[in-house]
Amino acid sequence: MEVKHNIWRSLAERSFVIILLSGVLLTGSFYQATASPKHQSSDEGQGIFEQKCISCHSIGGGIVVGPDLEGVLDRRDRDWVASFISAPDQILADGDPIATGLLAEFNGIPMPNLGLPDAEVESLLTFFEGGESVAPVTSDPLPSGKISRGEGLFTGGEAFDNGGTPCIACHTVGGVGLFGGGSLGPDLTHVFQRYGEVGLASSIQNIAFPTMQGVYAEKALSNQEIADLLAFFAAADSEGKEGVATGATSLFWGAGLLGAGVLFGVMAFFWPKQRENLSDRLRRDAGITSRRHS
Amino acid sequence: MNVRTHMSMIFHLDKCIGCHTCSVACKNIWTDRKGAEYMWWNNVETRPGTGYPTQWENQEEFRGGWERKKNGLNLKLHTRFQGLLKLFYNPSLPDLRDYYEPFTFDYQNLFNSPQKDVQPIAEPVSMITGDPIDIETGPNWDDDLGGSNVYAKNDPNLESLPEEVREQMNELERLVFNYLPRICNHCLNPACVAACPSGAIYKRGEDGVVLVNENSCRAWRMCVAACPYKKVYYNWSTGKSEKCILCFPRMETGQAPACAHSCVGRIRYMGVLLYDADRIPDAADVPDEELIAAHREIILDPHDPEVIAAAKANGIDDGWIESAQNSPAYKFVKEWELALPLHPEFRTMVMMYYIPPLSPIVSIIEKNLFRLDLMNEDYDFELFDRLDAARLPVKYLANLFTAGNEGIMRTVLRKLLSVRIYMRRKTVDGVVDDVALKTLADAGLTEEEAIAIYKMTALPTMEERFVFPPYHREMSIEAGMDPLAHKGEAGLGYIQQPKRGS
Repeated sequence: MEVKHNIWRSLAERSFVIILLSGVLLTGSFYQATASPKHQSSDEGQGIFEQKCISCHSIGGGIVVGPDLEGVLDRRDRDWVASFISAPDQILADGDPIATGLLAEFNGIPMPNLGLPDAEVESLLTFFEGGESVAPVTSDPLPSGKISRGEGLFTGGEAFDNGGTPCIACHTVGGVGLFGGGSLGPDLTHVFQRYGEVGLASSIQNIAFPTMQGVYAEKALSNQEIADLLAFFAAADSEGKEGVATGATSLFWGAGLLGAGVLFGVMAFFWPKQRENLSDRLRRDAGITSRRHS
Repeated sequence: MNVRTHMSMIFHLDKCIGCHTCSVACKNIWTDRKGAEYMWWNNVETRPGTGYPTQWENQEEFRGGWERKKNGLNLKLHTRFQGLLKLFYNPSLPDLRDYYEPFTFDYQNLFNSPQKDVQPIAEPVSMITGDPIDIETGPNWDDDLGGSNVYAKNDPNLESLPEEVREQMNELERLVFNYLPRICNHCLNPACVAACPSGAIYKRGEDGVVLVNENSCRAWRMCVAACPYKKVYYNWSTGKSEKCILCFPRMETGQAPACAHSCVGRIRYMGVLLYDADRIPDAADVPDEELIAAHREIILDPHDPEVIAAAKANGIDDGWIESAQNSPAYKFVKEWELALPLHPEFRTMVMMYYIPPLSPIVSIIEKNLFRLDLMNEDYDFELFDRLDAARLPVKYLANLFTAGNEGIMRTVLRKLLSVRIYMRRKTVDGVVDDVALKTLADAGLTEEEAIAIYKMTALPTMEERFVFPPYHREMSIEAGMDPLAHKGEAGLGYIQQPKRGS
């Protein structure tokens, strides 16, 4: 009896302590959960801006690729800005008049969907409300670039110092490469004209496109490489070639037909020398002719 | 000494009546599926004959097994480099016509045929295309010498026989045949395993069963070409290779494989053999005439304390060792040295063994002299003294079972004959005379051995024929899965459908 009594008493004591502790923890975590975002929102917004927006936008520093965002909340409805940041491709696809106007104004370059969660969008808006200004990426002035090296880097003829993937894997520039480049990313023939020198440099230096971010996250391009690429893009833009290199198609078909011809020639030589199956041979030796009709 | 265990089967060919029950049992359990119609994991051949697939022993065409070269054993099929060149076109690969086009009969026609002047027939149709075919060959087309002019005379084992002997074998008075049931030999030095580029074939540690992992098989079919016994088959429907699995799910539950279990003549025995895995490479790489001796050498005595200690050190439990001590396979292969491997010259070190058949004496033993008045027992003595009078030439049997070594074949045949003579004297005459005892002594057997051989040959119980060790499968899998997980479930087929190109 004594033992049993003790067990029940100790159980009761323990459960009281557990309930008390969980109460304290619950209250604390609730406070933590509600308190933290409000407190840091503006700083966080600045961080996000400098990380994800700065390659195309400035605040009070003029146009880079996209518009200067100084006083953006005075010009546009706050909810519209919020929804545009969350899903710009969606807004454009819905035919929103403001978005369509902006697209036309900025050389037809749509803002990519950065996939920001709502909390980060809210932080950004809070940061915009603060009215602080952010200058565009002001790196050292780029050294002068060489067109030939830029083309080499683009096609993969020359390797990037940090081992980044050559552009041609996903992009095409008219007239470059035997069969053109990849079609995952947009055609870059006139990218120089669309982005402008500053915008293009900025967006390569600080990549905002979600697909490219992953590829180049650990393999940033050096300033010299960016300068070479810019020189190459400028030259490609002014030359304005379209499509794949001339003669590539006929070379492709010619080589294919020749190869097939050689293959069939070799087959014609070896085909009759295949091993006759043994039971057919035994029947033939015994003078039994196959009765198969086929 | 690296002691391992192996489940081995013994085929007593004198008892085989060629009824194909084993083949049908196997077919019904394992290969009654789409893509497996032409496969006979177990087949019974009539010898002399060309077998299934046609002339499978002709390694100049099929290039199976191993070849002795200066640098040791090499696959006869190809070197690694040649294998790479022949990856997509392998001329040594048997095609479907080398086996036979599987067929069935249009039985519906017997019931549905409109009224005609003649009886309706069940027309043969191909099981692959479904179209009517003219059957030209089958898995045992020359059964009971049915096609001997076409097939049996082309038996590769007749090649080294003198021309006059071959002609004599075609004479009506000398016509003779025996049956040769074949399953996968579950070799110690399997060429199929060595040839597989995907590493999909493996030999199970516990009982030596050679299995194809259907998940890893990539349909290169090198195994089909490399197996000198042509016992790996390609399933054209699943795109995977398949072979005899020695009914391991049955063995794990203490049952004999379906072929052995269903055998009407009770010709099959099964039991554990202990072997020394370290000595396999050396035993496979000896001159042809020493192959049988080297093969017997690596089979270990399960009563030897040293072997038992080494076996235990290798994790072999007492149940397996005890099973090996009672194994009929050990008695036939090692103790009495009666059972022989099929075609040891392929050097794959087969683990299924055959006791060669005795044949009747020829009716003409001297020119123009018919000796049909001889008593049965006189036949035996006649044979014992002059084995060359047997209708099946010793050389022919030697080509099958001893790589052409006639000496070993004579020893085995004389042992079998002396036991027959001894037991006939004992049971028919009631007296064992000196002549009978002398034949025993000449054959190198004692009376006790003769009686033991007789009992194991003629009177064995099921438990004596099939000695299965306790597999304890439930214990070996319980770490990874619940042994009762599939209790109550039943059925055949793939657990996962194999996907191509993955």
